[in-house]
This record gives sequence, C-alpha cells and structure tokens, in this order.
Amino acid sequence: MSEMRVLIVDDSSVMRKIVERALRQAGLDSLVVLEAGSGVEGLEALKTNTVQLILSDINMPSMDGLEFLRQMRAQKLADGVPVVMITTESSEEHVKQAILAGAQGYIRKPFTAEQVKERVLPLIAAA
Amino acid sequence: MTQSLRESMHLVSDPANLQSSVEEVFNLMLGVDCQIVTQTTQDPREAETITAVVGFGGLLSGACVFRSGSSTALKIAARLTGMEFTEMDDTVKDAIGEICNMLAGAWKGKVPDLSANCGLSIPAVITGSSYNIHVQAPEFRLHHTYRFDDAAFEVTIICDGLQ
Repeated sequence: MSEMRVLIVDDSSVMRKIVERALRQAGLDSLVVLEAGSGVEGLEALKTNTVQLILSDINMPSMDGLEFLRQMRAQKLADGVPVVMITTESSEEHVKQAILAGAQGYIRKPFTAEQVKERVLPLIAAA
Repeated sequence: MTQSLRESMHLVSDPANLQSSVEEVFNLMLGVDCQIVTQTTQDPREAETITAVVGFGGLLSGACVFRSGSSTALKIAARLTGMEFTEMDDTVKDAIGEICNMLAGAWKGKVPDLSANCGLSIPAVITGSSYNIHVQAPEFRLHHTYRFDDAAFEVTIICDGLQ
C-alpha cells in the first residue's frame, strides 16, 4: 500500500496515539501521522501539508472540532478529504451537527480498533 | 426537545448506568473487566492520588469524578497506551483525564435526553493527597469503588442541578 497521510486532531496526546494505533491495527501500516492539539493547530497543519484522511475530536479548547471542520471547508483546505469525528458526544444532534459541518464518519469514544477499521476503510476506498 | 429531566429522574440516577459505563470504557479501551468492590485491599486514597473531573452543563449540572492512587493510575495509563510509566507524568495525567472524559460521555449517553441536552467540560486533573470534594446539597450522587487485577479506583457522579 502506498503512503497514507493522516491528520489526527485531539487535545489529548494519549488519544492521538490510541487513534494512530487503531489505524495501524486496521491495516494502514504505511501511515504518516500528523498531529494537532486543537482546531487551530489542525488548520495550520492543513495549510502546509497534504493529507488523505482527517480524524478529529469535537470537545477541544480554543477551537472545537465542529468549528475546525467549518473553517476547514470555508477556507477550502483539504478539499474532498474525508473527515471522521471521534468523540464522547454521541447524541443524534451531535452526529447531525458533524454531518452538516462536513464530516463523513462518526466514531464514539470508547471505541475498538475494529470500529475504527469499519468506519475508516470504506471512506479511504471511496476517496 | 425535552426541556426537563425531572420526569426522567429515575433513569438519570439509575446506578446501573454508572456500572455499565465503567464496564464499557474499561473493557473496550483497556481490555479489562472491572468489579464493584465494597472493601478494597488497596486504598484509593493512598499517599499520592490523582483525581480527574469532567463537568456536566445544560439540563443537568454536576460532574463525573475519577479518583485513584498513583499505582492504579500508572497501570491504567500503561494499558491504555501500551507504554510503561514509573511516575505520574503528563502522559499519565492525560490518560486519566481521557478515562474520566469517556466515563462521563458513556454515562450521559445512557439517557437520550441527557445525551442531547448536556454538555461536557474539558477534563481537569488534580494530583496530591488527603483532599476531598464537597458539593452542597446534591440532587443525587452515585459512587462506586471498582477493581481490576489488584488496582482500585473510585468513580462518582455528582448532580447538583437538574432542570
């Protein structure tokens, strides 16, 4: 498999590592992972880097994941790149807000590596 | 949208929701089964303790509080990350904050009206010794001590306001 560049946006460095490990367990061995600790950092990363997949938390200080997604779409950063939200928020309203903001997938914490695989691989295949 | 949780009080304060939330988080993220214990062989209030707090806001206000001794915190962080830890460094504190965050999210997710109308704060993590958390006249309080292997921890849900 060719190199897969992924941006993981989460204010928890532990959670970023867990998501990365889940992606590797899903079979994405040739990962190049970019990390951002907030939506602001995520936007900055996208201005200078190309990625094929974005995974973002929602509850983050300074700029949350939904605002990150809206700003990303408004600034036409990472156009057409699939975004999966990974969050503790699981209500239908949160899922709806994420989809309206432009997310293609939604994973609720806590999660298994298998759930990450099920949500992420079809998006990569379709991109 | 439901504007009051009072009618769902029996669901919101159901102790089974806390139990299933702990099982879910620890089983999925750490691969361990937790049991409620009435008497712990290891006091969660050992010399150095760590407490993580995630606040609830909206139709319900209050907090989810996780507390353990340092040895349990190191074990949880190690299982969560696959790394080894010898002291409560920033990564351990981050890991415990995330555990508390997932417990709070899982707990409120058990009641649909709560899930939709109650927000979570960013986790706050406190380390130290010999401290207690006081809430005056809470609406309800759920509290259990759990154990996996030889590690013990406490999880408390405090509700101090319900609309």
